[in-house]
Amino acid sequence: METSTRNTLCNIVLLAVLAVVLYVFEKHGTEYQIRILNNMAIFITLAVSYNLVNGFCGILHLGPNAFITIGAYTSALLTMSPAEKQLSFIIEPLIWPLSVMQVPFAVSLIAAGLTATIFAFLISFPVFRVRGDYLAIVTLGFGEVIRVLCNAMQSLTNGPLGLKGLTPYTTLWWSWGVAVFTVVVITKLVNSSYGRAMKAIREDETAAKAMGVDPFRHLLLAFLISAFFSGVAGGLLAHLITTISPTLFTFFLTFNLLIIIVVGGLGSTSGAVIAAALFAWGGEALRVVESPMNLGFITLPGIPGMRMVLFSIILMVVILFARRGIMGRSELSWNRVFAALRLQTKA
Amino acid sequence: MNDFFRLDNLVMQFGGLTAVKDFSIAIDPGELVGLIGPNGAGKTTVFNMITGFLTPTSGKVLWQGRDITGAPPHAVTAQGIARTFQNIRLFTDMTVLENVMVSFHHTIRSRFWKAMLGLPSHKREERRIENEARGFLEELHLGHLADEKAGSLPYGQQRRLEIARALAARPKLLLLDEPAAGMNPQETMELARLVREIRDRHRLTIFLIEHDMKFVMGLCERIKVLDYGITIAEGTPAEIQRHPDVIKAYLGEPKHA
Repeated sequence: METSTRNTLCNIVLLAVLAVVLYVFEKHGTEYQIRILNNMAIFITLAVSYNLVNGFCGILHLGPNAFITIGAYTSALLTMSPAEKQLSFIIEPLIWPLSVMQVPFAVSLIAAGLTATIFAFLISFPVFRVRGDYLAIVTLGFGEVIRVLCNAMQSLTNGPLGLKGLTPYTTLWWSWGVAVFTVVVITKLVNSSYGRAMKAIREDETAAKAMGVDPFRHLLLAFLISAFFSGVAGGLLAHLITTISPTLFTFFLTFNLLIIIVVGGLGSTSGAVIAAALFAWGGEALRVVESPMNLGFITLPGIPGMRMVLFSIILMVVILFARRGIMGRSELSWNRVFAALRLQTKA
Repeated sequence: MNDFFRLDNLVMQFGGLTAVKDFSIAIDPGELVGLIGPNGAGKTTVFNMITGFLTPTSGKVLWQGRDITGAPPHAVTAQGIARTFQNIRLFTDMTVLENVMVSFHHTIRSRFWKAMLGLPSHKREERRIENEARGFLEELHLGHLADEKAGSLPYGQQRRLEIARALAARPKLLLLDEPAAGMNPQETMELARLVREIRDRHRLTIFLIEHDMKFVMGLCERIKVLDYGITIAEGTPAEIQRHPDVIKAYLGEPKHA
């Protein structure tokens, strides 16, 4: 069998297994388990799209929380019914076209992605005039600007009150569907000529220019695609939590994403997927350490916050032993899996 | 008048310092021209002005009848002028093959969304790029290293890879910035043969900077000498070797006894 056919088959099998797992959890899983699985998928979407800019283009962009916020608000404002909006916006009424609009969830997600992309396009001109630390500060600033605007623009975002009582549209199928689509599309992009151009910019921007690569165009492309998927993920997140407010998407969210992609390996899509899944699941699994523990001879009281301490220790261990993250810059591909299996059987 | 490639009175000033003054040259298709001069004479500055990394303070870069002064580097490359760098600048964490494939990117026809969806037309283009890139690697005897990381190659092969990468951008004019730097005499000789070969095979015009006099004198048909940004001599290798100003620039003023 040819390797490409084999890999396609393996991918189909993997998707089928994922579908079965999701089906089982949807039918028999507890609400808590479903919540974790949803979180996992959304974090995979966020981490993979964030990694496109930070990992593959080598740009330190610190504003994904801005695009998530924009996506969340756009999507939420579009799915709420006019009556709900009238009830929520008590201080100042919502501005006109939005106040009477209501669209299906799918449309609102696409609108969320597109709105985030438009904002990304607008700030890309100042952002890509600079590089390195300066670029980090510009994007960080943008994240803060969006947060402040969400607080201040009462007639658009309902200010600090936020938007409450959203319909929980985000099912496992939505969140995982988007996650799978994001992973597939971004992997294909990264392995194409466009992806090579982005990596070339990361490796040596001067040489990339000399080989005919226009850095601005390619960084912009990565930035916009990343913003689109962040926006969509924001929409999913809004309809998962069902309540959004300006304080929900602070720099802390960006910080978490940054940790995920660094631990996974900057410039590795599979690394980002693994780290995002571990992060979403681990954050919950480690709750055990916060509850009181009876070790037989001694009873330890539960210490709130213990989970974060343990989390930090795990992070440090990972970085100590795998300085470039779990995957480095390599990918977990079927070719590697089969090569490893072959070695196993030989030994 | 020549309208293949011409530099008209290029001047580059950095603040109060004039790095290059009134540099003019016309190169005919197929020529192999050398640019020499002591360290800091402004040779690389001339290359940077041609390729758009620096915008000249005054003067013009004329390429195939068009004024390309101040065009961005990627646009200059797309119009058929490629270069290598004095200090090697490979994409070190990418494979040897990928390094060469990057140079094909400016010729790619399929849009990014076709790449994202993995459409057949894009896959065909990818295969074409890969095959052609392998061709360039074979030509520079790097074929067996295609899957190695570029940064792991020994020095001489890195230099050759830089040339392969520049060739893959399909230039009509190739600028080589000290291609023999750091090579031993044996490697330098092989390089000279290689440069002549690629010129003939790809019908290239080559403009190169080099410190190795034996290399330049043996290879170039015409040489220009820069000192402190000023052109002090121009001619065939034999003429340059006898030129009193060149001897003075390299060896200093003869003492009067």
